[in-house]
Amino acid sequence: MTIKMVSHADLAALVAELIAGNTQVIAPVQAKENPAATDYKQIQKLEDATLGTLPRRSIKEFLFPPSEVFLRYKQHKGDVTVEEASLTRPKQVIIGAKPCDVASTDILDKVMNWDYRDELWFARREATTIVSLLCPGLDNNCFCTSVGAGPDSTSGSDAMLIPVDGGYLVELVTEKGKALFGARAKEVTDSKLLAKVEELRQEARKKVEQNLPVVPAEMPEWLAANFANVYWDTLPLRCHGCGACTFVCPTCHCFEIADEREDVGGGVRRRNWDACQTGKFTVHTSGHNPRNTQKERFRQRVMHKFSIYPKRFGDLLCTGCGRCARVCPGGMSIQEAVCQLMEIAGAEPQGNGK
Amino acid sequence: MNLYQPYLMRVEEVIDETPDVRTLRLAFQDPKVAEEFTFSAGQFGEYSVFGEGESTFCVASPPTRKGFIECSFKMTGRVTRALRRLDVGDTMGFRGPYGNKFPLDTIMKGKNIVFIAGGIALAPVRCVIENVLDLRDQFKDVTIITGARSVADLVYKYKLEEWEKRDDVRLVACVDPGGETPDWKGEIGFVPNVVKKAAPSPVDSYAVICGPPVMIKYTLPVLSELGFPDDHIYTTLENRMQCGLGKCGRCNIGDKYVCKDGPVFTLTQIKNLPPEF
Amino acid sequence: MSEMNELAAKLLSEGTVKVVIGYEQGPAGVRPAFITDPAKAETLIFDSRCVQNLAVYLNPRRSHVVTLGKVAVIVKGCDSKAVAGLIREYQVKREDIVIIGVRCGGVVRRADMTAELTADTVSDKCQDCDVREPKFCDHLVLPLPPAPPITTRRADKIAELTKMTPDERWAYWSEQLDRCIRCHACREVCPLCTCVQCIADKNRPQWIPTSATLQGDVMWQITRVLHLAGRCVDCQECERACPLDIPLGLLTRYVAQMVEKRFDYKASDDPSVVAPMGEYRTDDEEGFIL
Repeated sequence: MTIKMVSHADLAALVAELIAGNTQVIAPVQAKENPAATDYKQIQKLEDATLGTLPRRSIKEFLFPPSEVFLRYKQHKGDVTVEEASLTRPKQVIIGAKPCDVASTDILDKVMNWDYRDELWFARREATTIVSLLCPGLDNNCFCTSVGAGPDSTSGSDAMLIPVDGGYLVELVTEKGKALFGARAKEVTDSKLLAKVEELRQEARKKVEQNLPVVPAEMPEWLAANFANVYWDTLPLRCHGCGACTFVCPTCHCFEIADEREDVGGGVRRRNWDACQTGKFTVHTSGHNPRNTQKERFRQRVMHKFSIYPKRFGDLLCTGCGRCARVCPGGMSIQEAVCQLMEIAGAEPQGNGK
Repeated sequence: MNLYQPYLMRVEEVIDETPDVRTLRLAFQDPKVAEEFTFSAGQFGEYSVFGEGESTFCVASPPTRKGFIECSFKMTGRVTRALRRLDVGDTMGFRGPYGNKFPLDTIMKGKNIVFIAGGIALAPVRCVIENVLDLRDQFKDVTIITGARSVADLVYKYKLEEWEKRDDVRLVACVDPGGETPDWKGEIGFVPNVVKKAAPSPVDSYAVICGPPVMIKYTLPVLSELGFPDDHIYTTLENRMQCGLGKCGRCNIGDKYVCKDGPVFTLTQIKNLPPEF
Repeated sequence: MSEMNELAAKLLSEGTVKVVIGYEQGPAGVRPAFITDPAKAETLIFDSRCVQNLAVYLNPRRSHVVTLGKVAVIVKGCDSKAVAGLIREYQVKREDIVIIGVRCGGVVRRADMTAELTADTVSDKCQDCDVREPKFCDHLVLPLPPAPPITTRRADKIAELTKMTPDERWAYWSEQLDRCIRCHACREVCPLCTCVQCIADKNRPQWIPTSATLQGDVMWQITRVLHLAGRCVDCQECERACPLDIPLGLLTRYVAQMVEKRFDYKASDDPSVVAPMGEYRTDDEEGFIL
């Protein structure tokens, strides 16, 4: 673990240098007139960023855009020529990413590389350097520590910034992170700072841990075996099936492929975000819908995240960011659902559980 | 080429099987792909009309016949309607092959094979039938039981004629009562009853069955009564596959992805799936 | 237990209804509650955080709620207009529901806020409220709180927008709608969005592109708002539900004002009053056709 120091000034200079070199720099930006209006945005200088704030959407849109053209076609009568959309992506550096957002990248790599390598994802992944920011733990909707992530987790990060007086400590996690900071990352001269880092980490973890116990390792199998549990009949009653949760979630990645005509004799094929929560997601041509009511659809979301994905890839498809609960108009909460399911399963609370 | 990029295909032939089912014979426009393309019986692909979208069908022609692939479809939605507007010489797209395959070179090799198909579901089964017939000496008895609502609704009638003529194939074709024509020489009855009457032997046999859900529902008990164990009965599932490669999250039944763990499943595997398909 | 809780418990224990839909305290704020057990009726609450419009759960598209059986729903005055709308449009039968009206002193903008009502926290919809005491209901409970604080926030914004040139307005809405990710939360929380096959889901032809591009986003919102003209009850749920804070309430309110001006009609809590888009009269103005 390499921990160095970088001052505010040096970080600002790094950002300026990146932008001058045509690298896009993205950071959380909070609108002054509305604190809730925080988004990951492209910045022109470090001062534009409001590091430490929680953006409404996750960083997944920079690796997996809401709508992505992957081919263009031209048509003349029966003849079609197809032009593959270029896979060259502009270099981008995300600064101040939330650890819960960043943890999703390594998790999603697994499905994106499952037998077929999704170059659309990996082209952006490779063009992106992620610098996360240690999170102090936000509110009672967070539960990153219970799903294998944490406010101090460097999973997926190339580097992590830890705010201290005068600047940041920076943990250089990968070669990409080391290369990004280069000589601007200086040796830590004050050993008390390293102790401070540990203190900040423990504080943040403790704050989040009280929200939900660690999800037991047996959960995926238990969920698969309890597909028909009566719990599913009552839980999703207030769910609107709107998909807001899916779209703000850092790990939800379901998509559709849609053709759009743009002109006479030409158009594009796109990959668009989609949500298993919507009524028509699984409807067949015959009209038959295997997931006909919100009960089946909400169950699918929980199953995908806490059973199907971990059984196949080993990781829970959830980083505990809590956005789903914060945006849900119907008051649903995956954290609450998982907690109730753990109780039904008779799981012993692990860690500092409720 | 990114993984969602389709091969460009040229429509070589348009065959109207029934009033609502059409078959397209497609050739790869890229000669290198045409040369190298292979697949296995049971696999499916994403067929597309540019500007309209993609649709999931099996590959209906067998892998033993090179140079072309065929798909058969009913006009039911936007893409299939656009497919019906295609003419010989037109360009369309194909992505594939995806999914798993029938174990013709392992489990089923050297065995008796019983094929049961209803309506347009003869398309995926036809692929396996012709694959088996092209390698006839690798299998023992071949029984084909296929039916449709009426004679007009029987697909691949020209194939049925071919198979009828072979003396190494037992073909039983049937139509629903009332669907026969005056010169119909085949069976009259619903597929489950016709299977019961035909009583194929379960000894050393594997069944491949595809059809509308109601046909499958009533034929499976017949096969069980005849003595076919669940793991000797194979079928294919369609569950709204879209990307075909396990990423779009749409086709899963519990933790099984129809595009990756299927579409070919044994009845044993199906009975272990949660009731969500 | 208040008279509301007692009434809910009574309706359930006597078997008058199978479920009472009301409000409860959830982990992230006040949220809808579905009470089927009379013993749990005491968990129902009502205060200024009860911003949700529960009439949406009567929408027949909620098949999993429909199967529960006869429903009692707790409504504020604005919510009762939505119930009236559903009955007016034959989506719900009057005899299939029990309407419990609550007297209301205004609600805050979001369900996770504290209950304190100030000019800053109060919802925009409360400004134009004319039904603090619901008239369309089977039971009317709870004492009438004081009137909500005044804020002209929304009226000011609409005035500002109407003064803009078309180009300026387009720039404003392009910026706002650019955030749209087409989650359709605005549609799903709307009690009056009852179409089994929404126009946005049709693909023959694809009237509205599914992609989250500005063109599709603008088309979707315009279509949605126009389809709600004369039907929208200004519950502002669309704006509350939007995960990206797009000010959808400005659009719905503006269209409602247009309807009021042209047809002398405001969304009514009387199901027998016909909405302008729901009938034709021989003296309807036809200047836009001929």
